[in-house]
Amino acid sequence: MKAAADALRGLSLVDRLARAGLDLVYLTIGMATAILGFGIWLGAGIATLTLLVFVVGLPVFLLSTQLFRWTAELDRRNAALALGGPLRGRYRDHRGEGFLARLGRTAGDPQTWRDLGWLIVHSVLGFVFGLLALGLVALTLAMAAMPAWYWAIPDGADVAFWHVDTLGKAFLATAASIPIAAVTRLALRGMTIAVSGLAALLLGGGPEPTAEAAAEPGRGPAWRSADPEALLAAQAAISALAFGVTVAVWLAAGRGYFWPVWVALGLAIPLALHASVREALRAPAARRPLAVQVAVSAVIAATAVAVWALAGSGAFWPVWALLGLLVALALHFLVATMWGRVFPDARQRELAERVDELTRTRRGALDVQNAELQRIERDLHDGAQARLVSLSMQLGRAEERLADQPETEALVRQARGEASAAIAELRDLARGIAPPVLADRGLAAAVEALGRRAAIPVAVEVELERRPPAVIESAAYFVVAEALTNVAKHAPGAEASVRVFAEGETLVVEVTDNGPGGTDPAGSGLAGLRGRVEALDGTLRVIGPPGEGTTVRAELPCG
Amino acid sequence: MRIVVAEDQALLREGIVALLREHEIEVVGQAEDGDALLRLLATHKPDLAIVDVRLPPSFGDEGIRAAIEARRRDPEVGILILSQYVEPVYTAELLAGGEGGIGYLLKERVGDVSGFLDAVRRVAGGGTALDREVVAELVRDRGQGEDGPLASLTPRETEVLELIAEGRTNAAIAAALVITQGAVEKHISNVFAKLDLPATDDDHRRVLAVLAFLRARDAA
Repeated sequence: MKAAADALRGLSLVDRLARAGLDLVYLTIGMATAILGFGIWLGAGIATLTLLVFVVGLPVFLLSTQLFRWTAELDRRNAALALGGPLRGRYRDHRGEGFLARLGRTAGDPQTWRDLGWLIVHSVLGFVFGLLALGLVALTLAMAAMPAWYWAIPDGADVAFWHVDTLGKAFLATAASIPIAAVTRLALRGMTIAVSGLAALLLGGGPEPTAEAAAEPGRGPAWRSADPEALLAAQAAISALAFGVTVAVWLAAGRGYFWPVWVALGLAIPLALHASVREALRAPAARRPLAVQVAVSAVIAATAVAVWALAGSGAFWPVWALLGLLVALALHFLVATMWGRVFPDARQRELAERVDELTRTRRGALDVQNAELQRIERDLHDGAQARLVSLSMQLGRAEERLADQPETEALVRQARGEASAAIAELRDLARGIAPPVLADRGLAAAVEALGRRAAIPVAVEVELERRPPAVIESAAYFVVAEALTNVAKHAPGAEASVRVFAEGETLVVEVTDNGPGGTDPAGSGLAGLRGRVEALDGTLRVIGPPGEGTTVRAELPCG
Repeated sequence: MRIVVAEDQALLREGIVALLREHEIEVVGQAEDGDALLRLLATHKPDLAIVDVRLPPSFGDEGIRAAIEARRRDPEVGILILSQYVEPVYTAELLAGGEGGIGYLLKERVGDVSGFLDAVRRVAGGGTALDREVVAELVRDRGQGEDGPLASLTPRETEVLELIAEGRTNAAIAAALVITQGAVEKHISNVFAKLDLPATDDDHRRVLAVLAFLRARDAA
């Protein structure tokens, strides 16, 4: 689970191990330069101060600053391991005419004194951290490999506080090495961040932050970016340091009972809480409280078991604590999963009802609109169109009676022609509003009629087992009508094919042509239809790469 | 000639009846819906029923359904459909029988009184009267594409073909195109030869042959 969480952040287990290895190398080299630096600053300092009484001290001082600079340069290069690139000292130009000028410029350069300050601080910090790093890694490896070597030591091995004399205990030690490895890794990270951060501060500007370095946590002066991992690393480093100090005190006090183990326990509990809660908080929001409880319970259980083990085993009293934690967890789990099901969140329920209602009313509105359009078409048919037909008929009868008055007859014939034209226009208008054949005979017949009426050759294929709702039929019909009109307009020489079929509960309308393609989906008359289709929770796509014809595909859910 | 009229809109129905009576055509019954039409046909056995496509109660295609049912009961009765629309699916259903005595006209054609009366007489006599819009759709349907079966016809021959499909006689075609009957005969024989149709002198059978050819969509 931890590995999964890491993968989520882009840092795999391998990445982490590689990072820990680099940190170890960095801190070990740092320990070497710390020892070197200690000798240099102490020796050069004493020599300069002593000889300063004589004039000879001045060239020695200049020589010493060169040594400081040279040693600092080693640490700048070493910083590349931690920061992704070497540091660059912000030295001024020390060249000058004559010895005194050079001396003055060197002494006046703040970087000279920052180098010295770094040597002094790092000679302590670098040494302690390097020692701690090597000690922690050695402890981890020794614990992990316990089954391989404990038997070689007569009477069993003593690892700090633990006496290992059986294979079972050896494997327990291997298991214990896992949390120790985690703490070690974090401590390495924390110490590296601290030392490299101090180096960047004193030894000069760091490398230009690359995009990669900026994206990767744990690089650069991370304590300023409030990276939670750096906080954890800092805590681990401080805890390790504190533990190291207590071990040193224990050694100095003449050993005996390994009491620093209680200090280690005290330091480990907050660290484990910190780490596990941080992991738990990565869970999805809904499961976060439960995850946090799991994390805290695990730490409490581990603490109880550890205390039991450290206190000399005996009756396994932590069983009651473990049982209690388990019951609490089970209760939480039950409540978290069942409660939501039995009593859905009031707000969520309200929203769900609202969505239901809106879906229903929107569909209702569209149904009403569709019915309204059919009513308008019928009104036109029964009203204006019928009257015009009647008018045309009466004009025809009048025309007959005017056979002996040719001029008047011509006028009446003209009027009849106008009436016929008006009827034809009304017919086209009514068909555009709601084609009667669609309501009477359904989508197949209506689309068939569209294909016949189109100005281009159209192959029609309709496969429907039952009629979709009227409003869906109507939208599908107008998609076909508009698409065919577009083909005739933009690709007059093309041929088109229309397919209408059901895919599960979805009605699919596809109009394809073999024209030149390159259709602008937004520019065509289909833009208006998209709104109509989308209001029905459908989709309308226009695919028209240049040279490959155009396909208009509408999907209309009928469920 | 005895006629039944089925039209739910009183204004139009009365207009049509008045028009027919003015020309001494006997209207033996008037119906307002499909059921009434079928009853009238059973009672009066008329020569022709003039039927509106849209009738109560559904105001959909009741008229077409009633007409098809009427033909099924009595294949002798002529049916003249009046509609506001040309719908290929309706004409296809009507023509499916392949027999004469069928007409399909847009309503506004009633204003052309002599043309309308001509169509009424033709259909009552077992002939055919198709609206020129209906024919135009049939021709367009059959002739789609540059290598369609109608591509070999000259424009004038196509006009003649369309007029035949409307159900016109040779004399009517000659009058419509302002050419001699002899010229019409020649065009017709050219059309029939090019379309590989059996030649015949009978007007009805000629019309039916042309319609059968135009409707044979899949044969192409």
